[in-house]
Amino acid sequence: MDPRKDQAEKSVAEQRRSEVITEQPVEAPPRNGGSEAPAAPFRERRKRPRISETPPAAPPPPKLDDYEPIIGKPELDELRFLARPLRGKTVKMVNSTSLGGGVAEMLNRLIPLLGELEVVTRWDVITGGNDFFEVTKAFHNALHGGEYVLTKEARDIFLMYNEQNRQRMQFTEDLFVIHDPQPLGLIRSRERNRGKWMWRCHIDLSNPHPDVWGFLRPMVEEYDATVFSSPAFSRQLLAPQYLFFPCIDPLSEKNKELDASYIQKVCDDFGIDRSRPIVTQISRFDRLKDPVGVIQAYKLAKKYVDCQLVLAGGGATDDPEGAIVLQEVMDAAGEDPDVIILNLPPWSALEINALQRASTVVVQKSLKEGFGLTVTEALWKGKPTIAGAVGGIPTQVIHKLTGVLVHSIEGCAYQIRYLLTHPEFAEQMGKNGREHVKENFLMTSNVKRWLLLFQILLGMVKKEKTT
Amino acid sequence: MATALLPAPPVRWARSPFYFNSAAHLLRIEREKATTLGELLAALRSVPSESIFQHTFRTLQEHHFIREGFSNDYAHWAFAACNEVGLAERLASVDVREFTSVETLRERIVQIVQDYLERNPRATDRAATEPFYFCASDAVVVPTPFVARNLVEFRDCLNQVSIHCIHYHFIEARLRLKLNSNDFSVWLESELDMGRIADQFNRIDIYTSTLQDVRRIMVRVIERALHSQA
Repeated sequence: MDPRKDQAEKSVAEQRRSEVITEQPVEAPPRNGGSEAPAAPFRERRKRPRISETPPAAPPPPKLDDYEPIIGKPELDELRFLARPLRGKTVKMVNSTSLGGGVAEMLNRLIPLLGELEVVTRWDVITGGNDFFEVTKAFHNALHGGEYVLTKEARDIFLMYNEQNRQRMQFTEDLFVIHDPQPLGLIRSRERNRGKWMWRCHIDLSNPHPDVWGFLRPMVEEYDATVFSSPAFSRQLLAPQYLFFPCIDPLSEKNKELDASYIQKVCDDFGIDRSRPIVTQISRFDRLKDPVGVIQAYKLAKKYVDCQLVLAGGGATDDPEGAIVLQEVMDAAGEDPDVIILNLPPWSALEINALQRASTVVVQKSLKEGFGLTVTEALWKGKPTIAGAVGGIPTQVIHKLTGVLVHSIEGCAYQIRYLLTHPEFAEQMGKNGREHVKENFLMTSNVKRWLLLFQILLGMVKKEKTT
Repeated sequence: MATALLPAPPVRWARSPFYFNSAAHLLRIEREKATTLGELLAALRSVPSESIFQHTFRTLQEHHFIREGFSNDYAHWAFAACNEVGLAERLASVDVREFTSVETLRERIVQIVQDYLERNPRATDRAATEPFYFCASDAVVVPTPFVARNLVEFRDCLNQVSIHCIHYHFIEARLRLKLNSNDFSVWLESELDMGRIADQFNRIDIYTSTLQDVRRIMVRVIERALHSQA
């Protein structure tokens, strides 16, 4: 019996049995049945790091002034200036969950900042039964291009819960921002007030299922403005469409500066040798992130340059396919002690941050991607980044200027070799990447975008004639 | 040895102070997109001028930290998505500072693409690896608290303002002024009679310097002038 498979299955099975996730990192188990001593001393020292068994309490959200050392006082002054005419105006944001997921994470940061700028923002979450969320999940997949048969029942369920929420909620604000398709139907309340309505679509609508889009589109067309994460994700619509890039919070656990000693400790705990180059991919164990392709690229590169590969992520516990992919990854790693595979619980933001900061090169060799916020995180940390040219990644990675784009395993291998042997080029690209994020993909940039959009929709600003 | 203090040079005061402003931009997604160079050319002729502004003047600001290899979005797309290096080079050589209106800039870009496609007709319908999405920029002027009435104050403000402010006065200004100059040079010349500094500012190469470099160069020029005055 393959001891690796045995241990992985046991580990996954144990985790699944547990009501409270007590997941510990699953690393590649000892090779050769553990009978032979591993080659590298770091491998011997590798141990299970002390990651909390339950999610730690979220730290309080940062204040506006906390961003000053990052973006500078003039930028903060600009935000305050843009917020001034909006003082006393009220905003309602509606989405479908207050916990988990990128949208909730973003709103948890955005809303306190808008509040600090005296733009009073209320966050409402729509409610619904399992049948509603089954329908909206199916819609979500269909809008991404998946197969689906839209039934009258599904349409009725969607409209019924939207109507229930509409009756339950008050719509007294001046501005309404509806996030994603689930609460789209709330637009029917528009008749009752004179506020301006915006639909913030966080998903890729480039290839939607025609029936589902045909059903939702009339609702979308009633909004005063729509906001997309990429021009490629948008549709032809009557209302103006704006571009708001997804963003990261530089003060979050995942992105804040860390003490060198903490980074060292995390590396020590995971058995990562910081005296040798470290190539890292952070992503859940999903075939679309091509972790096996990354291992193949690493193996090709390693013929010429010494390095270690860290593959860290989650998704192997709550997703049956994730466990299968994790096993495939461990099989692909084989006996190589320099491949470090870490299946981390979702609350490992600090550890992820440390791993990214300890890396020499970061890879995100996705085959399909949304915007790719892990790329944003790596660029923010000034890391030379190699990424697949898919989804929103080319918006962030300008080839050879802020990172390098690759289209194949061989291309990825070549770029690993090149960046590890040309540290000056890698460093300059890392610096450019950080500046690119600072300019375009930070939370404060999105605060500014919302303030501008609110002012434009309320007719408060005279647009500068630049032409 | 006792040192006699030199009398401080007389400070030249501006009749009208320089008010530093900045601009905030919001990106709109336009309807047009191009999947070939032929489609790019057709759209270039019809998109609103705010879109031409976005992909030339404004993109330079968005990528202000890149010292070489980035000029405008059309050049970048021709290179990265169409693999038309010759066209990319020609588009990249377009210096926005030679244009005082977006319409003349549009004409120049259209001319370059048209000439290239006439000489390379096969490139017209060759599919790009990714489409070019036309966007446009809505700009809002944002005043800052910085005001200068003499050269020292001007230097101090320059050191503190955001790079967006520098882009607004130094690069975008020519569209407002309709002059081949910038707000800083115009003020230095007209208010402080410092034409030499104004000229030196106008000679700064924004395509081989980042906006932080531009700031540093301008401050250095002013400090040299202050030193020679002293």
